[in-house]
Amino acid sequence: MSQQNGIQLRQVTKTYTRGGETLRVLDELDLAMEAGHFYALMGPSGSGKTTLLNLIGALDRPDSGEVIVAGEDLARLSRSELSDWRAGNVGFVFQGFNLIPVLSALENVMLPLALTPLSKKERRERAEFALDLVGLGDRLGHRPTQLSGGQEQRCAIARAVVTDPTVILADEPTGDLDRDSADQVLELLRRLNAELGKTILMVTHDPHAAESAQRVVRLDKGRLIGIEQREPAAASMTEGAS
Amino acid sequence: MDLLRLVWRNLWRRKLRTFLTVGSLVVAFFLLCTLRTLVTTIQSGADAASASRLIVQSAVSLFVDLPQSYQTKIQSVPGIEGISKWQWFGGYYQEERNRFAQFAVDPAETLEIYPEMQITEGSAEAFEKQRRGALIGTGLVEKYGWKLGDTVPILPELFPHPDGPGIAWEFEVAAIYEPTARNFDPNMMMFHWDYFEDTVKAGSGEAPGVGTYILALEPGADPTAVMGRVDALFENGPQRVQTTSESEFQKQFVSMFGNVPFFVSAIGGGVLIAILLAVVNTMLMAGREQTRDIGILKALGFTDGDAVKLLALQSMLICLVGAGLGLLLAQVTEPGIAGALGSMFPGYAVTSSTYALGAVVAVGLGLFAGIAPAWRAARLDTVQALSAKD
Repeated sequence: MSQQNGIQLRQVTKTYTRGGETLRVLDELDLAMEAGHFYALMGPSGSGKTTLLNLIGALDRPDSGEVIVAGEDLARLSRSELSDWRAGNVGFVFQGFNLIPVLSALENVMLPLALTPLSKKERRERAEFALDLVGLGDRLGHRPTQLSGGQEQRCAIARAVVTDPTVILADEPTGDLDRDSADQVLELLRRLNAELGKTILMVTHDPHAAESAQRVVRLDKGRLIGIEQREPAAASMTEGAS
Repeated sequence: MDLLRLVWRNLWRRKLRTFLTVGSLVVAFFLLCTLRTLVTTIQSGADAASASRLIVQSAVSLFVDLPQSYQTKIQSVPGIEGISKWQWFGGYYQEERNRFAQFAVDPAETLEIYPEMQITEGSAEAFEKQRRGALIGTGLVEKYGWKLGDTVPILPELFPHPDGPGIAWEFEVAAIYEPTARNFDPNMMMFHWDYFEDTVKAGSGEAPGVGTYILALEPGADPTAVMGRVDALFENGPQRVQTTSESEFQKQFVSMFGNVPFFVSAIGGGVLIAILLAVVNTMLMAGREQTRDIGILKALGFTDGDAVKLLALQSMLICLVGAGLGLLLAQVTEPGIAGALGSMFPGYAVTSSTYALGAVVAVGLGLFAGIAPAWRAARLDTVQALSAKD
């Protein structure tokens, strides 16, 4: 996996103003993550984890510095170009699942494919495949309210991978789940990394969840504390996934 | 396609609210359509008036009668082919709410002057020969179930019966006409001038005056010249007259009710503004409820323009469905309204221009109501939208 397709942040600073007070959430952060690896992003509340995830996912822009993902300098892209870029390169998995409540599981997964030139039949086939992959092949017509929390999150993962993105960004994906459901979701993320080679960046507070990752990035007060290598997890994970 | 599916599903996110909003739109567009049809019916009545007929009335007011002696003098004016006396009777059938137009007329002359009255039952001869004979329109047949030979009692308000107050005048249905022109009133009743005059005389001892003289022009006659000649005849009295075209007369008649078109249009405008506010409110609520969905869509790669489409299409769809049903209701109820209001608004019919106006208003309403939520959706920050509560 080349550095070219990885994630690089150079001197990234991001501030927010709340109640007249300016908060420096990321402070001249330098970080490089290789493509094809599974990273866990850890740190105390307010350390800038979710902000970092939003910058990498092009949901937000830094005040200064460069964010380069899959070879693209995101600062150079316009608002609409960022939308296009997100559609083709990033899959999001959120803590609160963020499925659209009026659509079925299948329709939710088909939604990002509406931005591709695929025919309706192809979109349906790909969405069904993605739902099969996460074990929801028998829940295609269910609305999010008819699914359990774990099933909702698996559906969200199917939606995240259906466009075959380069990077999957997961923000506390197991935060709202019980242990069994959380393990299923983590297992899925491991498989996506090991079998499909997806670069995964997962924000988590949970050390157990972080064990699924190959590397753990630690932040504090908007600065990088360190990157821990957790090898040789990938091999055993692959075995576990199969 | 998936966006359209989402638009449709979002409409049914709050079923009761959608039903209520669509229901208000249906009522508003039905009212708008019906009120405008009243206006166009009034206007088309004047527009469809015959150019070959003139009306002579008192120059003072329509409520001042003219002497019967004017008939011979007017008839001698070059360019006039026929003339008939008309007098508004102003009675009702059984109850005061059963009002329709009744006129004392010269029977034979009236039938010649008004070829729009096609006799479908009975005959012109029967109407002309029977002293108490009446000619009635098909609208009255439908409404009251009258048939040939029936005796119809009409309670008078302007011309009391000589036998005493509260005694009805009795007429016998001698012929039934059906209008061949859309705007010709099918709810009129005409009866013999002679019977009218004799009865009035028996009570008051005086011959009744003439409300209006209806003139038929000779082919090729210049209406303006004829009007001038007739007016000139009585310039020095004993009572001055005003001769107008049938169209002008109808407009004047309508204006007696005040500025009806303005009044009706004002109500329609008020209805429109009220429904606009209701739809804007609905769409703003819908927009706020869908904040998180819009954040999700933007995170997935949908653009600000897609967010605008999502809200604008919902607004447009709700307005088009409501307006469509409202216009359909106006169409379905057209025969019923035409029957109920036929005597006041003969030829009531929803025109294609009214449907077109309804469609244009619906599109405008949909766009306007969708602007604010769509604008907000476009400007929504994705991260903040994603953290919005359901």
